[in-house]
Amino acid sequence: MEVFDSILAALPAVLSPSVIAAMVFGTIVGIAVGALPGLSATMGIAVLIPLTFAMSPLVALGMIAGIYNGAMYGGSIPAILLRIPGTPAGIATVFDGHEMARQGRARLALNISLVSSSIGSAVSAVALLLLAPPLATIALKFGPADYFWLALFGLTTISVLLSKNPAKGFLSACFGLVLGMVGIDSLTGTERFTFGQLDLLSGIDIIVLLTGLYAIPPAIDLLLGRNVVKTGSLSVTGEKEAFAWSSLVPVWIRSSAIGLFVGLIPALGGNIAALLAWNGQRRFSKNPKNYGNGEPDGLAAPECANNADTAATLIPALTLGVPGNAVAAVILGALLVHGLRPGPELFRDNAETVFGFMLTMLFTSGLMFVIGRFGARAFVNVLRVPPRLLGPMILALTTVGIYAVHNSIFEVWMMLGFGLIGYGMEKLDIPTAPAVLAVILGPMAEESFRRALLLSRGDATYFLTSPISWVLIVLILVTLLSPLWTRILSAGKAKNAAKTAGQGRADAA
Amino acid sequence: MKKSLKFIGTLTLSAMTATAALADYPERPITMIVAYSAGGGTDVAARTLIPFIEKYLGDGATITVLNRPGAGGEIGFTALSQAKPDGYTIGFINTPNLLSIPIQRQTRYSLETLEPVANIIYDPGAFSVRPDANITNLEELVAYAKEHPGEVTYGTTGIGSDDHLAALAFERAAGVQFEHIPFSGNADVRAAVLGGHVFMASMNVSETVQDAENGDLVILGQMAEKRWDGAPDVPTFQEQGYDVIMGSDRGIGAPAGIPDEALSALTAAIEKAVADPEFRAAAKKQDLALSFQDSKAFRAHLEAVNQSLETLWKEQPWVK
Repeated sequence: MEVFDSILAALPAVLSPSVIAAMVFGTIVGIAVGALPGLSATMGIAVLIPLTFAMSPLVALGMIAGIYNGAMYGGSIPAILLRIPGTPAGIATVFDGHEMARQGRARLALNISLVSSSIGSAVSAVALLLLAPPLATIALKFGPADYFWLALFGLTTISVLLSKNPAKGFLSACFGLVLGMVGIDSLTGTERFTFGQLDLLSGIDIIVLLTGLYAIPPAIDLLLGRNVVKTGSLSVTGEKEAFAWSSLVPVWIRSSAIGLFVGLIPALGGNIAALLAWNGQRRFSKNPKNYGNGEPDGLAAPECANNADTAATLIPALTLGVPGNAVAAVILGALLVHGLRPGPELFRDNAETVFGFMLTMLFTSGLMFVIGRFGARAFVNVLRVPPRLLGPMILALTTVGIYAVHNSIFEVWMMLGFGLIGYGMEKLDIPTAPAVLAVILGPMAEESFRRALLLSRGDATYFLTSPISWVLIVLILVTLLSPLWTRILSAGKAKNAAKTAGQGRADAA
Repeated sequence: MKKSLKFIGTLTLSAMTATAALADYPERPITMIVAYSAGGGTDVAARTLIPFIEKYLGDGATITVLNRPGAGGEIGFTALSQAKPDGYTIGFINTPNLLSIPIQRQTRYSLETLEPVANIIYDPGAFSVRPDANITNLEELVAYAKEHPGEVTYGTTGIGSDDHLAALAFERAAGVQFEHIPFSGNADVRAAVLGGHVFMASMNVSETVQDAENGDLVILGQMAEKRWDGAPDVPTFQEQGYDVIMGSDRGIGAPAGIPDEALSALTAAIEKAVADPEFRAAAKKQDLALSFQDSKAFRAHLEAVNQSLETLWKEQPWVK
């Protein structure tokens, strides 16, 4: 099969010493970043992208793959030991993971988390390798009208799914839409919102925005001494105990499927995958009462699911240029920095790099297991690093890094400005992800809409001619109606609510 | 990062040795501003060429690339025109952007603030269609466009790109009307024409030859004075009776007022570099359409293109 030929062709490049070194480094950094509360995979990648600028694309992408996978596992370390999820995706890990630690089984809990994370990541990477190439072939058939519906679908999912508070999610998305309009309008050549500034003519670079929104706010928090971890209870307790790993196999299968599915849907992230998997596992179990009381299955499910989400999120991002969440958006930014434009053409023109990247997603899931196995204690100690040391480091790295991308000091100021905005948004509980996705999807929707009208000479029925368009329209309708649907469902459930205690936890996230 | 550090080093050095005589040019590293992103077409071409220029400048000359991308090249062109004219800052200048941007909007540079050093690449524009359009030359295209008004849509890499200006010039020469569909990059135009979403692609010939060889596209003509040796079978527009010369040049420029010694040393080194068989082999791999012009010829060429763009702008401004 052609796919396997491409995979084999990319293999030597992936196994070159520099790429392997980058994957090891990325995985270590990823686990550490994930373990530190307040720092996320998005932030870790955003800080390091500009520094990968001088590397060859595959080395940079291998490192990014390591950070992405590693951070998803790293988040479970403080979740288990301290009851603090290191990343949002670690929320559901707290439920049973921390209980196990309290019962003196922290060592086993960390092992279950590591094995489940590695398996989830590996399954996801295989899905990426097998699903992305055929999807890229289909994506070649997308015309401007189809791209318009696709972008609109992405925007719809953000608005409906991303926030507990729809008004705030909407506000954030509108902020992104406005930012996306800055620069020269590519269809008429007119300057928009540039205020006569030469530096704004080419628009706001997505890397500048992402770094500002995701790297600066945690750095400010660290400098202010927030996120201080009480390290008193920080110890890995527990003896080596016999554990029937095979009992987890059905859990892994179910949770991987949930993670994959969630990853494919735009706007859903690892945290939702983890919660769904935990809930699903509990509902399926014979003794749901054990869940939340240190049940190993309840730890394995979310950890497996949040890692199964990683590579799956990249499927629409790499093939269609539509990022499902903020991490995918940062990775798109990374591709752009290296001159790789996501989309079907990527698979044809840069097959070796893109297949290589997908392979690094697979290899880093294995590396994560090895590194996590031998380095567990070292990563626990990462939590003892004084936050005031990390803050300045992040600030210095981002400043130098953003300058290096375009040799532009203007973009450094712009990045710091976005950092302050991001900090304000965080304090006001306004999600930043809708803004980031809207910056990418807004111009895509606008340009393809106008391009389609140019092509059809103003005939609006052109938007309804292709079967791809119709599939997307149906998806948009389903998404729009989904809140109504869940409301009906939950109204029915309310009657049974009295029976199921602990449900509140899942909703709280 | 390294590049920036080197640049800072260069600046410091230039402050220290500004008074030195130019007899042994170059005495210190030369900075080459590339107005496009690292890894892009111009950047790759620049980095391929630099070792050869260094070789022929002799005396262990070093040239460092400084990428200043943005605003279609305007940021880099402005930086170049405002640099100290001491021969130690040069830069890639690309047409038509170099010339069309000051026509479209107020800029802080103009052709007068720059000194053309040498042209290196002239990549002619070209029209191409899918084989199933059953059109093989410009005459058939014009006939088709007249029979089917409004149906000939063409994709380009954007408003004011050489592809767009080329089509505008052709419309004027042939008295036909096409529908312009701007895209944001070459890959998009290519996908749109191969996918049948647009009728025709207006892309540079070097970007089309590969698909033409594979039989996926038919090139109707190239807009050069003489056929590029990478596509010797494609007739020029002039051969087919349409006086349209349009394409994109990538040459080297310096700030106006560069010392004569430096200018002649650079021009001579670039000429030898472009003639170097090793460089020509590397250029062939990248489908670079080499076309050397010395300082004088390049200036004359730029002024002629500028003239024709100004005329075109008066009759048919491409940005409203």
